[in-house]
Amino acid sequence: MASLVSTKSSPRASTGRRKRPLISNVLAKYIMAVTGIIFGLFVFVHMYGNLKVYTGPEHFNAYALFLRTLFEPLFPYEGFLWVFRIVLLTCLIGHVGCAFLISSRAKKARGAHKRRGLRGFKSFTARTMLVTGIVLLLFIIFHILDLTAGVAVAPEGFQHGSEAGSFAYQNLIASFQRPLASLVYIVAMVILFLHLAHGLWAAVYDFGVTVSEKVRSWIILIAGVFALIVMLGNISIPIAVLTGIIS
Amino acid sequence: MRLTIEVWRQDNPEVEGHFETHLVEGAQEEMSLLELIDYLNDQLVSEGREPIAYDSDCREGICGTCGITVNDDAHGPVKNTPSCRQHLRSFKDGAVLRLEPFRSGAFPVIRDLVVDRSGMDRVLQAGGYISVDAGTAADADSMQIGHGRAEKALDFAACIGCGACISACPNGAANLFAGSLLNHLSTLPQGSTERSKRARAVIAELDESFGPCSVYGECAKVCPAGIPLSAIAAVNRERARALIRTGKDD
Repeated sequence: MASLVSTKSSPRASTGRRKRPLISNVLAKYIMAVTGIIFGLFVFVHMYGNLKVYTGPEHFNAYALFLRTLFEPLFPYEGFLWVFRIVLLTCLIGHVGCAFLISSRAKKARGAHKRRGLRGFKSFTARTMLVTGIVLLLFIIFHILDLTAGVAVAPEGFQHGSEAGSFAYQNLIASFQRPLASLVYIVAMVILFLHLAHGLWAAVYDFGVTVSEKVRSWIILIAGVFALIVMLGNISIPIAVLTGIIS
Repeated sequence: MRLTIEVWRQDNPEVEGHFETHLVEGAQEEMSLLELIDYLNDQLVSEGREPIAYDSDCREGICGTCGITVNDDAHGPVKNTPSCRQHLRSFKDGAVLRLEPFRSGAFPVIRDLVVDRSGMDRVLQAGGYISVDAGTAADADSMQIGHGRAEKALDFAACIGCGACISACPNGAANLFAGSLLNHLSTLPQGSTERSKRARAVIAELDESFGPCSVYGECAKVCPAGIPLSAIAAVNRERARALIRTGKDD
């Protein structure tokens, strides 16, 4: 091979060696892992809060008001909520930005001949991360319009909360009583499961945790169970509304 | 055995390649993939045609020279086995074998099934060594390390540098290759004095020649040296460690 390499034109030019990027691949992966873990914890706490819907309208609305009046009077009404929202938005920008950065670099590095013949569930979730991520981004927009802003896709008779009280329960029931909206939520939660199951597992590697094969299978299991709990907890709510268990 | 071979033909890096179809009769189940190409090449030469160029050396799975893509699998259908140790018994009589070079942006084809893997050489040049004073050989066991540590270093030193991990990666990343190198050398006292310096140099070279890792896990499935997937985590771990130790070599 050595003799072949040394002949005339240097093949190095065609190996597409790149200039060292400003944001290295390792940094991009760390950003994705940190923000991804924050989102993972967020959706878990969010799901836990959602389950309060089973404790009745008073309790659920009180919880919604509690989130808006958190750390009063240190923070004004909705003050801490906005801090929280800005942190999440910053994370989202970092996560999505790095996702596109990594996928475009990956495409370039792989070259003209795409990898074919990928099999199995594990690689399915891995190679659909970009697709499931984009679907989740669209879902977040839908969800905020529906139950936070109360515009466009929101149910008729959406009631805005105020310092006097919250109508989160009534709004949630009104939204989920529309089968199409419920379907959107259910599908989105399945997508979230796929995204989380791979993402949480990959984050362990991104954080540089070197583990044995045995521990690896435990991590896959824990990530999967965590994602499954978030999915099932959330899906139960539109199903409960549609079947009339809560109304 | 009667096999249909679709093989990638490409005269040089500058021209477009294409698949060429050949029918092979009389192939034996005991033949390795490389012996199949030899068998086909005999046929081609007797017909007065150019034989298929491919890389091989030891043919016993220790050198890392050979490597072709067979029906989209780097090295072939048997996991963690180099092309020279893959045999035709893995295929059914009458099967179609599509033989391609290792595919990746960093692996331009030189000719037919031979690719240029100098991107990997650059990673090794950046940090695949330890700096020691040359002289007479040191006394055995003058630097004592535990058995477990020696075994761990050996597990990662097992990399034969074939490039299958890179070719199996949908992202064209070389993190299994570089991770095994970093893990191997940082585990031993001889390599730990320039641990951070090495991590910075190797990982900078990765960014320039290869893609980012997305933890598909495809690399560890094909690695003939059985490097575990945890090697890829070593890349991020070593880089983060080097950041904390900014300004230091170790």
